[in-house]
Amino acid sequence: MVGLAVVLQPLTPHPVFPCVLPMRTPLAWFNLTYERRRLLTAIAGVSFAVLLMFMFKGFENALYDSQVQLLKVLNGDIIVVNRLKYTMFIPEQFARRRLYQAQAFEGVEAAYPLYTRDGAYWKNPETKAVRPLRVLAFNPNDPVLNIPEVLAKQEGLKLPWTAIVDEKSRAEVGPRSAGIVTEMAEQQIHVIGTYSMGTDFASANGNVIMSDQNFLRYFSDLGPEETERDLNTVDVGLLKLAPGADANAIAVALRQRLPNDISILTKPEFVAMELNYWRKNTSIGFIFTLLTTMSFVVGIILVYQILYTDVSEHWVEYATLKAIGYSNRYLLTVVMQQSLILAMLGFVPGYLIALVLYDATTNATGLLMNMTLGRALEILIATVSMCLISGAIAVRKVQAADPAEVFGN
Amino acid sequence: MRTSLAWLNLTHEKTRLLVAIAGVAFAVILVFMNLGFLGSLSDTAAIAYGNIDAEIYLISPQALEITTTKAFPIERLYQASGIDGVKRVMPFYVGYLQWRNVETRQSRAMFVYGINPNDPVFLLPDLQKPDVQAALRRVDTVLIDRLSRPEFGPQATGTTTEADGRKAIVGGQYTLGGGFAADGSLLMSDQNFRRYFDPFPLNQINLGLIKLNDGVDPLSVVEAMRRTLPPDVLVMTSEQLTARDRDYWINATSTGFIFGMGVAVSCIVGVVIVYQILYTDISEHLKQYATLKAMGYRSSFLFNTVLQEAIILAVLGYIPGFIISVMLYELTVRATGGGLPVAMNLGRALFVLVLTILMCVLSGLASVQKVTKADPADVF
Repeated sequence: MVGLAVVLQPLTPHPVFPCVLPMRTPLAWFNLTYERRRLLTAIAGVSFAVLLMFMFKGFENALYDSQVQLLKVLNGDIIVVNRLKYTMFIPEQFARRRLYQAQAFEGVEAAYPLYTRDGAYWKNPETKAVRPLRVLAFNPNDPVLNIPEVLAKQEGLKLPWTAIVDEKSRAEVGPRSAGIVTEMAEQQIHVIGTYSMGTDFASANGNVIMSDQNFLRYFSDLGPEETERDLNTVDVGLLKLAPGADANAIAVALRQRLPNDISILTKPEFVAMELNYWRKNTSIGFIFTLLTTMSFVVGIILVYQILYTDVSEHWVEYATLKAIGYSNRYLLTVVMQQSLILAMLGFVPGYLIALVLYDATTNATGLLMNMTLGRALEILIATVSMCLISGAIAVRKVQAADPAEVFGN
Repeated sequence: MRTSLAWLNLTHEKTRLLVAIAGVAFAVILVFMNLGFLGSLSDTAAIAYGNIDAEIYLISPQALEITTTKAFPIERLYQASGIDGVKRVMPFYVGYLQWRNVETRQSRAMFVYGINPNDPVFLLPDLQKPDVQAALRRVDTVLIDRLSRPEFGPQATGTTTEADGRKAIVGGQYTLGGGFAADGSLLMSDQNFRRYFDPFPLNQINLGLIKLNDGVDPLSVVEAMRRTLPPDVLVMTSEQLTARDRDYWINATSTGFIFGMGVAVSCIVGVVIVYQILYTDISEHLKQYATLKAMGYRSSFLFNTVLQEAIILAVLGYIPGFIISVMLYELTVRATGGGLPVAMNLGRALFVLVLTILMCVLSGLASVQKVTKADPADVF
């Protein structure tokens, strides 16, 4: 610790912290930086605790974000699904005539049916192993998906036995560039291009886009152990509204007049419904909340360790300060400042490493790991609270420092 | 040496020791939780196969794991039954039904096992009861897994609801559990399976179960079957199939990557915590260590002392970590209503113990650099 002589110097504003700290010497800063090695270890510790929190929260968010990737690119203002379909992977369809009925309403410009099938076995052209992919099918003339590569391949998709594959599908799906010929659902398929979307927990391996006519070719004539499909039953109906139309009002009108076998939701409501299922009705929320909380606790222990060591070492000095006349509150602020500085210094490397990790995960798994400002702030607040809590615990020892003991012996 | 220096160094300051133990314990807990979640997510198959009375399984090569199977002709099972050593063959059907919760009127995907009620397929004690056996044979009557998630609704015998639009009556319960993919399951007779999954024909099966005579070596029978049966069906022992399923879950669903990373970073945190402690200890006692060196103790002695401290910390931190992890596992099972069957097993406990010791030894090695540089001359 800097000698007591420094404390007794005349009032000169400190060059680096002129206004930030009310006292003449930034004691907290000096305490921390006095031993380089110890400081680095401390920063490493806090960064890793921050990294842990970023990681677990990140995985949780990735799992949720991935689920709604497809939903976000659907070109519809109002979504129509079977009432039982409260999450995308429930295989319930509704009658196509509901879309015709909806089209008659004022404000509805167009109605596009989207057909989906989970578990379509795709054969890896190299290893010949099969993987279940999700198939998305629609009339290529309908602008169902807001993805440029899909719109570009409109004419190609009209050819029989063709499809475009998500380039972010898992590696086990095999090579997927244009020109690849392989099998899907035990029939030949020609890949005419790729697009970019990403996997999610339900369609864990990848997505394939084809025309509705091809959908019939692959899935309308199967053996009795498989469910066959036809174009009269639709999985997801998209309603495009006139520009400036009030989606909520039209949704209400549709709900009133159309029968109860379908759910009518605005696009944001649909996305929220999907997210709600994954948050509330699966164990994902529980798992990652638990892990993030544990990381938080580990962080508290780490920071407490650092502060405690500092306080123990400078016991005599703190007691002397008290003897001079500094109050307990002053010592409290010093310890709290130390913990805050640690929080800031540890957050930055933790954040940077987390960015790298997010990138690596996205590449390895196809899940969408995104750092947003909101998420970074969330963890920053958690880090600061973590350090403040440790500080609060460490500070009690400081307050117990008795000047008499120091000079007694 | 006469005084256990490592032990005394560690225990000299009680509070510091407690914080250190807490740090290691929490790192241990994090690792246990990650491994536990990974295990439970991939354990659907292990749980099902573990409760089935068969040594050899037939599945389609296109089947990925128990919830994504492809049906193959039952003739394969008849062909297999002709092999020497086979006591009995049993067909097995699986699928998903939308099970309607009578209270909330929401449906949720329920995993279904279909068996011939006369076949002793499952080793579940509930199935031995005569009233449960009778229920299994009734039309539109099913048995429900007690460990199904609460969202599936009431499980009392007599509950009448719908499965995929067809009436379903709960005739009894059994206790099985399933991982993430089958967080609720039903057991029904093959006749009922035919009704619910119409037009699924019963001469297409999802799994073929083969029970061998006592004392017969499963691997030799597997070999014989692989020679006899065509390649449109895979023959595997129970262990091989469980491993195949687990492998798929861990690798194909990114859960392996996610929790593997969780374990890795938790270990790094553990290393940092222990390093901090040892480093502080060494810094404080640098003079004493230097004095010891001046007295004639070699560097290796100091090295050993630090390592001993590391190992003692590892063990002291592991014990509370283990105990709290077991409690947290219990909490997880309760909180998810049995949906996440996290359980401690000996293999994992030992693995984490070794990992903890490794973690601490690594920190020890990193911090010991300073000790060996301790120069007696500086002290005096």
